Amino acid sequence: MKGTSKAAPYIFIGPTLLLLAVFSLLPILVAVYISLTDMDLAGLADYSNIKFIGLKNYADVLGDPVFLVALRNTLFYVVIGVPLVIICSLGVALMINFGRNRAFKVFRVVYYLPSVTNVVAVAVVWSYLYNPGVGLFNYILTSLGFDKVPWLTDPTIAKLSLILLALWRGIGLNMIIFIAALQGISRSYYEAAQLDGASNWQQLTRITIPMLRYAIVFVSITTMIGWLQFFEEPFVMTQGGPLNGTVSASLFIYQNGFQFSNFGYAAAGSFVLFFIIIAVTLLQLRLQRKQAEE
Amino acid sequence: MRKRIVSGVVATAVVAGLLSGCASGNNNANSGTNSGSNNDATNAEEKVTLSVWAMGDSSKPMEQMAEAFTKENPNITVKVQAIPWGSAHDKLLTAVASKKGPDVLQMGTTWMPEFAAAGAIADLTSDLANYPELAADNFFSGTVTSTQFDGKTVGVPWLAETRVLFYRTDVLSSVGYDQAPKTWDELLDVSKKLTERGKDKYGIGLDPKEPTLSFMFARQNGATLIEDNKAQFEQPAYRDTVAYLNEFFQNGYAPVDLGLDTAQTFGGDGMVPMFISGPWMIKTVKDQLPDIEGKWATAVLPSKENNMSSLGGSNLTVFNYTEHKDAALKFIAFLSKPEIQLEWMNLTGELPANMKAWEDPQLSDDANMAVVGEQLKNAEPMPLVKAWDNISQNFLKTFEQIYRADADIDAQLKDFNAQSQQLLDK
Amino acid sequence: MSKQARTAQSSASKSDRVQKWIIGLILTVFGVAMILPFLWMILSSFKTEAEIKQIPPTLWPETFTFDSFQKLFTEMDFTTYLVNTLLITLFSFVGLLLNAMAGFGFAKYRFKGRDKLFLLVLATMMIPGQVTMIPVYLILNSMHLTNTMLGIVLPGFISAFGIFLFRQFMSALPDEILEATRLDGAGEYGMFLRIVLPMSKPILAVQAILTFISGWNSFLWPLIIANDEKLYTLSVGLQLLKGQHGTDYALQMAGAAFMVVPIMIIFVFFQKHIIENYNISGMK
Repeated sequence: MKGTSKAAPYIFIGPTLLLLAVFSLLPILVAVYISLTDMDLAGLADYSNIKFIGLKNYADVLGDPVFLVALRNTLFYVVIGVPLVIICSLGVALMINFGRNRAFKVFRVVYYLPSVTNVVAVAVVWSYLYNPGVGLFNYILTSLGFDKVPWLTDPTIAKLSLILLALWRGIGLNMIIFIAALQGISRSYYEAAQLDGASNWQQLTRITIPMLRYAIVFVSITTMIGWLQFFEEPFVMTQGGPLNGTVSASLFIYQNGFQFSNFGYAAAGSFVLFFIIIAVTLLQLRLQRKQAEE
Repeated sequence: MRKRIVSGVVATAVVAGLLSGCASGNNNANSGTNSGSNNDATNAEEKVTLSVWAMGDSSKPMEQMAEAFTKENPNITVKVQAIPWGSAHDKLLTAVASKKGPDVLQMGTTWMPEFAAAGAIADLTSDLANYPELAADNFFSGTVTSTQFDGKTVGVPWLAETRVLFYRTDVLSSVGYDQAPKTWDELLDVSKKLTERGKDKYGIGLDPKEPTLSFMFARQNGATLIEDNKAQFEQPAYRDTVAYLNEFFQNGYAPVDLGLDTAQTFGGDGMVPMFISGPWMIKTVKDQLPDIEGKWATAVLPSKENNMSSLGGSNLTVFNYTEHKDAALKFIAFLSKPEIQLEWMNLTGELPANMKAWEDPQLSDDANMAVVGEQLKNAEPMPLVKAWDNISQNFLKTFEQIYRADADIDAQLKDFNAQSQQLLDK
Repeated sequence: MSKQARTAQSSASKSDRVQKWIIGLILTVFGVAMILPFLWMILSSFKTEAEIKQIPPTLWPETFTFDSFQKLFTEMDFTTYLVNTLLITLFSFVGLLLNAMAGFGFAKYRFKGRDKLFLLVLATMMIPGQVTMIPVYLILNSMHLTNTMLGIVLPGFISAFGIFLFRQFMSALPDEILEATRLDGAGEYGMFLRIVLPMSKPILAVQAILTFISGWNSFLWPLIIANDEKLYTLSVGLQLLKGQHGTDYALQMAGAAFMVVPIMIIFVFFQKHIIENYNISGMK
């Protein structure tokens, strides 16, 4: 596709780039500047109150024990959550796709529903499920003769509980992407394989998975970015507690920026997170490219 | 101290305010109108549209107020916008940033210092004399304190709430208490006895995530919290309070992580037969626990050196960048009238800051409300420093280390004090 | 499908059926777990506040009541919020088209700085959203777009995630077909509309659903940009239901259920009509 119309690509991407420049790049530049100042609410009201303080915010935030805990928690979320989401959503997509009849299509809706549910509603419902006293989960456990589980009140278990919740919310979207990709695979590959007597399992590992490579790359990159910015679940469920056990980097930034109006400090924190995300994404792209070459 | 100066400033207006305030609402409003328009004669002719931000779930009650106001002041129409409490802070930030906001703004008492320090809300000190309804003496002194910042008056008290003790009379008398505990020692003792009733029984519900809890108790113990911008959290009065509260959690007198609503534990056989909370719980208990009617009561807080409660609620403020300051004040003056505040209470259940309103039989004849009214006279807002929100959130984390992870109180408070001082010095 | 089953060996189709049953069973078990919280939400919206707080909890409402739903429309302005939400959702489909165009531009053209620009697009996805909120607001304010519908939808028009997804999919479209269309004399834009978009139906369906959902749930900008309640959306309304002290759970459940059910219907509709249409045309 070379040398057709010189202007065409720019017309295709032009409006998008313009909007991105205005509503993403420019604000990011402003935020970079803010991160180098001591801007707070008084500074927001009157710019003459803003003082340039260089990299002090960066030094402070990297020495802030809570921020380091938040980064550690975020790592925990990513390491456990990302593979879980990818495996579960791919598994569900494959199973639903395997069925290929009306009954199985119902499952698409069932598995997709959680991801469309409003986060406020999610918080209300799941707080009830995880409730230590009357919660449904502990109710079921005790009636089966097990001990109660401190779902949201033990720092480590609380992290796992939030991952479970995020998994519940996250399967649907990725599942849909996988299903769309699965249906993009031409039937003729399978027909040929079936004529050769390939089993279902062989068809899966030899045809389906390799053909899904792009979708898997896409889902793993976006999921990774999403989980590095893990925010809503701890925000609505635990506010970072107990004992900072669930505070994520994004939540830390939000609390400092919007609850306490330390905009400079929060901006510095978010650029630290930003660089981590870029580094992880580039690493991931490189690894995947290498894999593809092999 | 400050509030005495302020009441001095407006002393002349006070006399008139008290006289006309209760005599006749209509006359009063007219006098307010006149005095307001005297300052700016052209404004009275002009048609003005006021924009009002009200916190909470619905703009409808405020719209009703606005309609009544427009009837008296045909030149001023009022547009009301409800702001959800959970996102109000974000919304206010953008208003400050763009200098585009409402004319009249309802503001939670805890946010006053922050927004006043940023210059987002107007200094009303010199305007108050024009509006007898806004005289400081009309309101509970604690609510007036919350409108002061740097020696200026930056708001008008609007809604008041304070914490009182709720208790089950039947359950308490079963352990030998025929009335509510009066002192800290009694509170601890009755909690212990109540807990000893058996498994899954507790003494009192103290919410360790409530940011005012420890500070309120500490003041009862004579702690000053902040003095001359110096944090006082290492002082014995504060330290002993933390130790006292910790006893409730360590001994199981107060539940941790019970995960139940107060309304769920207060009824029945009284799993948690006492709790400290605000007046909104009166309606909740009445509505949701009809089976314990007549078996519960409220009381003022038990005392150590005093029994001062924490005062909350909201003030009405004028956005600093408004072009209609007079009209805004006129509307605030209208809302400050006792009969209007009572009407508001009937619409929303929120309690008036105007003391005159509390003389109305609706409030004075209701036993629970009378308790709240009495406690309001002895209630102060949290310290008015702009970092307070941050400090109190930090304390919740500190206290969690103490009651949950059994950390050393002295070491924790030392860190907390240093951290707070840093915030205060900023 | 059935044609294919017939041509396949009969023994394979038998083991196929057993496998299908097993997989169906697995999906059902997990599906119940997936749907349980959701079911509880809908059922709770018909309960009274007292029943929601009852111990032990009930799953099925003892007495069905529509009070909460009624309150949404009488005490609150959910009708206005609904209309706004629909409008915003409608507008956001313009953004969908822009994203598709950009995705195509990045996927099928070679031009100077393409990879760098694309990386830039990706980078915008990585910046934590909260940090740009105030700058974006100030920009909108200087463009005099506060308190307008345009101001509400513009910041959300472009989705780096969407562009990424489109590019990923459109890269896989066969170049030969595009070349052939060009040889037929279709312009670049005609080709995009008549060939590329129809071929991208599965991804369009995914994106349409995502666009709908984000429009439907839009919360932050309607709240911040609006200086008038007439521009509030359902999400803001739901947030309004969260009180300062204590919460009316029944009312919240009703509000939440009211928001989710339309999405459910749209989703069922979409997946039937678009994904399956594609499926059939792909098989022929």
